[in-house]
Amino acid sequence: MKKKNNPWAIFWAVLAMLYFFVPMLGTFIFSLRMKRGVLSFLAYQSVLSDANFLRSFRYSATMGVVTVIVSVVLLLPSVYWIYIKAPKMKPVMEIISILPFVIPVIVLVFGLIRTFGRPPFQLTLSSFGTDVLIAAGYVIISMPYMYRAIDVGMRSMDVRTLTEAAQNLGSNWFQVLTLVILPNLRIAILSGALICFATVMGELILGDFLVRPALGSYMAGVGRSKAYEPAALAIISYGLTWLCLGLIQYFSRGRSQQQLTGR
Amino acid sequence: MAQLELIHISKSFNEMTAVQDFNLAVEAGEFISFLGPSGCGKTTTLRMVAGFEIPTSGVIQLDGMDLTPLPPNRRNMGMVFQSYALFPNMTAAQNVGYGLRVAGKPRVEIEQRVIEMLDLIQMHDFAERYPNQLSGGQQQRLALARALAIKPRVLLLDEPLSALDAKIRLELRQEIRRIQRQLGITTIYVTHDQEEALSLSDRIVIMRRGVIEQVGTPQQIYNFPASDFVAEFVGHINLLPVEVVQADAGVVRLGSQVVRAGQFGHLNGRPVRLAVRPEELKAGSVEGANNLTGMIESVTYLGAIVRIRVDVDGQLVSLDMFNERSLEIPVVGQPFHVNFPVEACWLTNGVKN
Ligand SMILES: Nc1ncnc2c1ncn2[C@@H]1O[C@H](COP(=O)(O)OP(=O)(O)OP(=O)(O)O)[C@@H](O)[C@H]1O
Ligand SMILES: [Mg+2]
Repeated sequence: MKKKNNPWAIFWAVLAMLYFFVPMLGTFIFSLRMKRGVLSFLAYQSVLSDANFLRSFRYSATMGVVTVIVSVVLLLPSVYWIYIKAPKMKPVMEIISILPFVIPVIVLVFGLIRTFGRPPFQLTLSSFGTDVLIAAGYVIISMPYMYRAIDVGMRSMDVRTLTEAAQNLGSNWFQVLTLVILPNLRIAILSGALICFATVMGELILGDFLVRPALGSYMAGVGRSKAYEPAALAIISYGLTWLCLGLIQYFSRGRSQQQLTGR
Repeated sequence: MAQLELIHISKSFNEMTAVQDFNLAVEAGEFISFLGPSGCGKTTTLRMVAGFEIPTSGVIQLDGMDLTPLPPNRRNMGMVFQSYALFPNMTAAQNVGYGLRVAGKPRVEIEQRVIEMLDLIQMHDFAERYPNQLSGGQQQRLALARALAIKPRVLLLDEPLSALDAKIRLELRQEIRRIQRQLGITTIYVTHDQEEALSLSDRIVIMRRGVIEQVGTPQQIYNFPASDFVAEFVGHINLLPVEVVQADAGVVRLGSQVVRAGQFGHLNGRPVRLAVRPEELKAGSVEGANNLTGMIESVTYLGAIVRIRVDVDGQLVSLDMFNERSLEIPVVGQPFHVNFPVEACWLTNGVKN
């Protein structure tokens, strides 16, 4: 058995780490330099005490939660239905699910505004209407992640046979979904939700063009007008993303304990 | 009156006919097997009974009531799947209790029934285990208990043992039969393993390309196959081309040797074959029986039986001898005499009788 580490592998790994971490470290150190001559967390204080930051953070977090809920409610039954009734539709669904990657967000925004900003919808007239629009946009942008997560979860169990077994034992569709399918997709949905949430928290263009106080727009604004705070914000958002990733890791580790397949 | 009746059932999947004009009446408490080669429509028929497929035409009746309008969850049929299909998020006990839970039964009743069922399959010690903590055999027993917990009218099993290894398969086969007898539950058992079908069933339905070839008890199927297909599919058989000597007396010639058959139909123009099972043939010559002389072509020692192939005027005839410690195993190339009773063989011209 070849267990000795290849020196080249180590070299490339180190190089990649440097490539990734050096700028981050630079940013981090820079963010501590707000007070001349000493390292301090002043920039972080300044960011966290900014009412606008808190407002946009809260706004984006709310939007993130709404997006997650809407995505799950829309995608879970659809994907399930495709698995059960129309497996032939799967390739079509795959293509639809990657469309948001192919179509630039800016195009999406203009499309949304031009379609729904005009009569008869005129959603952009009220801030609630705009929120509905922006949430719809977020749902579309994060769909590839959510779809993939649910798809992977469904693939890891024999959805069809489990459904038939449950039906055979007398359950109606609602009971099949809530008692059998959903519990077995818990981890998949959770990880999808976290990626979805992280996407919304970092999204820039939708908030900007629809003029809503999204965290992304706020960060961009700060980046244009200040020096140290953007660095602090970047570190904070990194931390947030990593927290989400860590949570995904943590929850999916439960997989090995619990059986996920129906086979 | 039969408990379950399938009347003129047909099923097509876009132009492809999977099951055709299937007629069967199952008595209460009867154990019926569907046996046939892969793709002959066994699963499709079973799924129509369970309600997962809708027949293209025909009626399925339970106690004289048409089942067609009922969705699978209102049919009260217990189904056991080849892949177990246990719910991975539930313990053994929760799996067994699932059917009663969705039916809204009181908790005490569920608990009682779960204990009763786990006792039945002798798995009370595993109540709190999750399916992935159980062996394949245990999982399938659990699936059986889960299906039986709802007190189904009919128990449906689709190749329940084919994912298990040989020893467990044998054990579980007997257990299924024991439980079925104990509960007296009407059962349909799909398999492509003839030994399973023969050993378990009250009656066997032999299917081929979506059509029933024969329905009968294991002995009827084995000893009086309705067609060459059945004769060849169940067990081993010699089907030897012969020449008709005397059509009305069933006398034929195998090579140069004359044989008389016990059963023969209309021997019209088609080529005729002599059918006889290898275990009916004995070594040696006997007065009054059919006697053949040939040369040993091959000998296969299988433990309990010894399969010998004899070259009789260019035709290979198989014969099975029971092993004994004192048995002298014949030597390849030596001359050999075999005999079989007239009643043991029949003539067939390939037309279904
Ligand atoms: N959903 C379906 N769509 C199209 N064709 C199907 C479908 N289900 C079954 N078939 C076809 O119907 C025929 C009978 O299938 P079925 O599954 O009943 O066979 P089987 O006797 O159970 O075979 P096996 O022993 O391999 O399980 C096959 O030719 C199969 O391809
Ligand atoms: Mg099958």
